Amino acid sequence: MPAIELEGVTKRFGDVVAVDGLDLTVTEGEIFGFLGPNGAGKSTTIDMLLDFIRPTEGTVTVLGHDAQTEGETVRSRTGVLPDAYHVYDRLTGRQHVEFAIEMKGVDDDPEALLERVRVADAADRKAGGYSKGMRQRLVLAMALVGDPDLLVLDEPSTGLDPNGAREMREIIRQENERGTTVFFSSHIMEQVEAVCDRVAIIDGGHLVAVDTIDGLRDATEIGETLYVYVSTLDERVLERVRGLEGVGAAAIDDGRLRVAVDGVSKFAVLHAIDEVAAVQDFSVVESSLEDLFVRYTNEGKEVEA
Amino acid sequence: MTWFTVAKKDFRDAVQSRALWALVAVFVLLSVISTYAYVELPEMFGTPGGATFGGLIFFTIGLVGLFVPLASIVVCYKSLAGERELGSIKLLLSLPTTRGQVFVGKVVGRAAVLAFGLGVGLIVGLGFGAVLLGDLDVLAVLVFVLATLAFTAVYASIVVGISATTGSTSRATTLALGFFVVFELLWDVIPMGVLYVVEGFSLPTAIPDWIYPVMQVSPSAAYFSAVVALLPDLAETVGADPAQAGAGVEVTAAEAEPFYTSPEVGLVILTGWLLVSVVVGYSLFNKADF
Repeated sequence: MPAIELEGVTKRFGDVVAVDGLDLTVTEGEIFGFLGPNGAGKSTTIDMLLDFIRPTEGTVTVLGHDAQTEGETVRSRTGVLPDAYHVYDRLTGRQHVEFAIEMKGVDDDPEALLERVRVADAADRKAGGYSKGMRQRLVLAMALVGDPDLLVLDEPSTGLDPNGAREMREIIRQENERGTTVFFSSHIMEQVEAVCDRVAIIDGGHLVAVDTIDGLRDATEIGETLYVYVSTLDERVLERVRGLEGVGAAAIDDGRLRVAVDGVSKFAVLHAIDEVAAVQDFSVVESSLEDLFVRYTNEGKEVEA
Repeated sequence: MTWFTVAKKDFRDAVQSRALWALVAVFVLLSVISTYAYVELPEMFGTPGGATFGGLIFFTIGLVGLFVPLASIVVCYKSLAGERELGSIKLLLSLPTTRGQVFVGKVVGRAAVLAFGLGVGLIVGLGFGAVLLGDLDVLAVLVFVLATLAFTAVYASIVVGISATTGSTSRATTLALGFFVVFELLWDVIPMGVLYVVEGFSLPTAIPDWIYPVMQVSPSAAYFSAVVALLPDLAETVGADPAQAGAGVEVTAAEAEPFYTSPEVGLVILTGWLLVSVVVGYSLFNKADF
């Protein structure tokens, strides 16, 4: 049974189509990254999983239950870190977690949960005085109440410093090892790259890709970039390198030759360059998910235009 | 039963609001002052025969009838619109509950907050009056306090219902104040105005029966009638006239009038307001996207 299943989901706000005919399946037990630029429809999609908003068309099934008609059942097994939420300023951190515990009807220890997200020191302070990062940790603690089968995290690293973001990833991994499916959205590529089994890229309300990160790399043929130090580097050399087989693009970058490898082995390309101008040193940079992301979302726009 | 948890959280949250404590202080003060004024100068308040405890109760209704609507607006206008505007509604609805439970929890929580403030004020005010008068009718106080708490709950439901219809607190404020102006301040005039127009721009000599229940549509007028209906003996001794039409409609239980001209209609109208506010508020809240 899939953890999340969207079938032909469309959401219109007046004339604006926020999400357009989305089909998406998230398998039980995986960490699934939901990527897209701001305004792509990520939060709208997540809000439909949680029944904050209702789809105009299509069905949303979460943990085998209809998200709209059986929302309470869905949310009793789901931990949520929503986007653009606000804490109850006058209640303490502990009261927030106690509230979540009581609402879920479980008997978790609030202290342990606050300890786990590292806000136990501030447990008895009013949440209105918390920093953005502390609020994010507090709401994560609320999401972890009752050992959920599914975690839905909308931009979880918002407001966290690099250390906090790393701790967030650790908690995501720990929960996943316990068997929890994790669905999280982000516009920060390295977050997704670091933990996700699979990713979906959404842009302009359309799904533009769903794959593993490696799969995305292969599919886009971005491959790798070589930085090569050669004995002589000028426009004439550059022109000749551009003409070589397997070179996608080449440019002079900071006294080095930057070459995008396309379709053939790095060794073959290096060898060919060596014949043009003697290779002194080189380094290889694997394309980041960011490159993939930019490529996907820009391509999408070109198609639309 | 997550509504109870929601109500508890809401109460916990609201009792920490300074506005609420200011409100309680104002009501306690008003209650004591008005009790003192009534006991010392009963002639001025339409009881020439001297102050009685029953008279004090009916005198207090006027104060409550004004205070509850205003206090409900202050305590409840942000209850749902504010959570939507800020986004804390997402925290709430991320938990295993339904919008219906949240709505009910809000009404109960805010009603409890109001009841608490009002209860303190009434007990202090009436207790003070009992000491001054050396008289206390426990049963009447009990009935009166319960009726007042029910009225408070109805008003909480009306304002939470209004708050449920919008995601903007400024719009919620406008709607709630608009409700107050139309149904509390102008309502005495509106039915008479309608009658005036219907009768060809002149007032008839006999006020038709239907005016009476229409007057009671104003929740505080319905509350007054409800107390009269619940404490008929006391109402008779102090001469409380539930019509409030001001146009001389005399209604006594002895006359064989249709039901809708008896003070019991106040109870029906208060129940009606409860139902209407829940149905309208909930259905709009349930349809909304957050």
